[in-house]
Amino acid sequence: MSIAQTHDTRSSAGSAVLSGVQKLAKSFAVILTTLLGLLILTFVIGRMVPADPVIAVIGDQADQATYDRVYEQMGLDRPLYEQFATYLGNVARLDFGQSNVTKNAVSSDLARVFPATLELATLATIIGAVFGIPLGIISAVRKGTWVDHIARIVGLLGHSTPIFWLGTIVILIFYAKFGLIPGSGRIDVFNEGLVEGPTHSLLIDAVIAGEWGVFFDVLHHVLAPALILGYAAMAYLSRMSRSFMLEQLRQEYILTAKAKGLGQRAIIWRHAFRNIRVQLLTIVALAYCGLLDGTVLIETVFAWPGLGQYLTSALFFADMNAVLGSVLLIGIISIAINLLSDIVYRFLDPRTR
Amino acid sequence: MEMLRRHFLMTTAMAAAILAAPIAATAATPEDQLVIALTMSSMRGLDPNEINQLEAAEVVANLYERLVVLPADNITQPAPGLAESWTVSDDGKTFTFKIRSGVKFHSGNALTAKDVEWSLRRLVKLGLAPSVDLRQWGFKEDNVDSLIKATDDVTLVLQTPEVWSPNLILFSLASFSTSILDSALLAQHEKNADMGREFLQTNDAGSGPYSLRTWRSNDLLIAEAFKDYWQGEPKMRRVILRHLPESAAQRLQLEAGDVDVATRLSSTDLNALDEGGKVTIQKTPGFGFYYLALNQKDEILSNPKVREAFRHLIDYDGLAGTVMKYYGVKQQTIVPAGLPGSIDENPYKLDIEKAKQLLAEAGYPDGFSKVYYATPVTPEYEVAQSLQANAAKAGIKLDLQGGDHIGKFRSRDFEIFSARSGERLPDPHAVLQSYATNANNADEAKLTGLNAWRTAWDVPKDIQEMVVAAAHETDQSKRTELYTKINTAYLASSPALVTSFRRTDAKAVRKEVKGYVGHSTWLTRWDTVSKDE
Repeated sequence: MSIAQTHDTRSSAGSAVLSGVQKLAKSFAVILTTLLGLLILTFVIGRMVPADPVIAVIGDQADQATYDRVYEQMGLDRPLYEQFATYLGNVARLDFGQSNVTKNAVSSDLARVFPATLELATLATIIGAVFGIPLGIISAVRKGTWVDHIARIVGLLGHSTPIFWLGTIVILIFYAKFGLIPGSGRIDVFNEGLVEGPTHSLLIDAVIAGEWGVFFDVLHHVLAPALILGYAAMAYLSRMSRSFMLEQLRQEYILTAKAKGLGQRAIIWRHAFRNIRVQLLTIVALAYCGLLDGTVLIETVFAWPGLGQYLTSALFFADMNAVLGSVLLIGIISIAINLLSDIVYRFLDPRTR
Repeated sequence: MEMLRRHFLMTTAMAAAILAAPIAATAATPEDQLVIALTMSSMRGLDPNEINQLEAAEVVANLYERLVVLPADNITQPAPGLAESWTVSDDGKTFTFKIRSGVKFHSGNALTAKDVEWSLRRLVKLGLAPSVDLRQWGFKEDNVDSLIKATDDVTLVLQTPEVWSPNLILFSLASFSTSILDSALLAQHEKNADMGREFLQTNDAGSGPYSLRTWRSNDLLIAEAFKDYWQGEPKMRRVILRHLPESAAQRLQLEAGDVDVATRLSSTDLNALDEGGKVTIQKTPGFGFYYLALNQKDEILSNPKVREAFRHLIDYDGLAGTVMKYYGVKQQTIVPAGLPGSIDENPYKLDIEKAKQLLAEAGYPDGFSKVYYATPVTPEYEVAQSLQANAAKAGIKLDLQGGDHIGKFRSRDFEIFSARSGERLPDPHAVLQSYATNANNADEAKLTGLNAWRTAWDVPKDIQEMVVAAAHETDQSKRTELYTKINTAYLASSPALVTSFRRTDAKAVRKEVKGYVGHSTWLTRWDTVSKDE
């Protein structure tokens, strides 16, 4: 009996481990397939872009001999599947190739441009969440009052104002007219090179180096673009959190809580808010993902050397290695954020465990 | 609820405080630094033997030096650079250069004739885009080692495979591509026999007035004055290039004094700056044209009367006063103004009736329809739209398609195409070779570098022969005579490549900046710049 029991426990523990491993292997396989699909799609689309990568490199006046030489050097004479296979092989060895435009290794380019975007997107998401969620909750709680109306106007404006227009207007007023903000870039050129840090995020590197002058300069530069992006994110987040909150406030348990005589604060925060945390997290994560790959317009207006600009200019010049590398990075980041929010769900909501 | 509102107000106040706290943003650039705003997106590395466009060329012009200098204000007069002097043999095929001694590279290495030999050979051997500067005269991988030789530390002997006008050779040796590189330094940094290519993407190996300190593509470039420069340390301690892709942003920063020079401005912004009074607009003429190409494989377009009709459908004067104000100067002949053989003749003007009459004579009284490719950038697209509107009045329906069509132009896969060209030799030959020679008009010949071949235009034989003869002519006055003849003949030939404007490149320079002079072959120098406040 006891032997049988031991055997049973062992086998159930074993199968638990096995199913854990299976699960892990399965999600790993899904991730790999997703990334591979992403790469194939990008590769094919990249080849259909009308821009000729060779002409992008040699200019339109070069003769045929030069064209042929460079065509061969770039490996374009080989069949498409072979080019793709070579690329995959290199990626497996973490070699993302060289960019035809910047002439650097794509990995070192990405290590430089991605932190710039990350810094901007993270600040914008924080701004959006810190202002947007409370605003949405206030307007849900005070539905129909002036607070709600103002929040709606603010939200609609944020939704409908083109971001590049807002950027240009902000530059026109706060830079050109009043001289309150810098016109472009991540850092004042005279502070250039003072911090060359491990993370390439100038804010963090400046703190590590203890260069507070540089830190404030960088903060000063990032503020306007981050506030503009943050405003757009806030508009979205406030509208969404308002509707999540309204839905909760209509539930019967709120009525019960009120009948019990609970204060409004307790009802909103301890009951209703706890129930919308997972939904909020989902939309914040979505907004964050969107900001990480979609800030091209604001990066152009503020001459922000980030991923959006890098990817766009790579596309214009049919710089395939750079495009593939960027897309792969965006794919990995999106998957990582999704995984991370999945994990956090489990802590926030026992039902998802 | 109360807490929520407090939290909200507090964060708002904090943000406002950060926004207002500040550090003066708009200060004029320091007196000893020059800040240039530009678009870096098409800059590809900084290897003189690899780059092929204007912005990178200006950087290379200041990091490196060449044997011969073409002064910005007297561009057709070759002056000594790294070569103190030179002689040309009587048969015109051997050039002997005396190399200046005492010149140091940024690394501290002394510059010798060996470096010159190595650099010129490298250009030919790498065979990349700018190698045409030497290859077009017959230099190849297998002959360059015997034709370009340093006989001692101060003498370089260059032999040309054929006789060419000495000007063509000297002009080529003034091009950014023939910059002299530090061969000893590059030997140290060589990887897989790449002749230092990888190193040069982000480093310099020159002897020019500036050395490269920082370069991040699509962001920023900082060059520092070279203290041991043989012509004396430049006045501007640093030159900073900032990537500002938006024309409006360039203009605002120029007005605010955050940049000294802006190089990629729209015509609206140029107009506004011109009237603002703080800046000077420089229009640097280039050696290229805004042109219209009519594919001669097309039956209708190959009719000379139809070609002639198109010349009456371009609104030369209307465009000159508006979109082309800063980008071009009206020119209907083929030898760029100011070069030997140029003539001041612009006989064509917009004349719809005349065009209709020519079309009727050609047998198309009711016009026809064609697909028209143009690049959707200012001012090329505006010029194309203007032609489309005028052609419609004469019965020609042009289906204007914007996009990157240069590949189709190169492979003759188009009907009508327009763009602008830019050559780097201040000699009529550069333009004429592309527009007026086509040694073999067959598809298989693949002379894809030549506009005439791309257009499938079998250029009249007499014109082609004169162009070839002029390039080999060593007597400059005879050349001038030939180029005048070619120019007149081209104008009378109803060409399939119609020129309307000579290209100019506009830059806005703040008034306190002196000595920043736009160079027609892209070699604008920074060591001549000073500022007076």
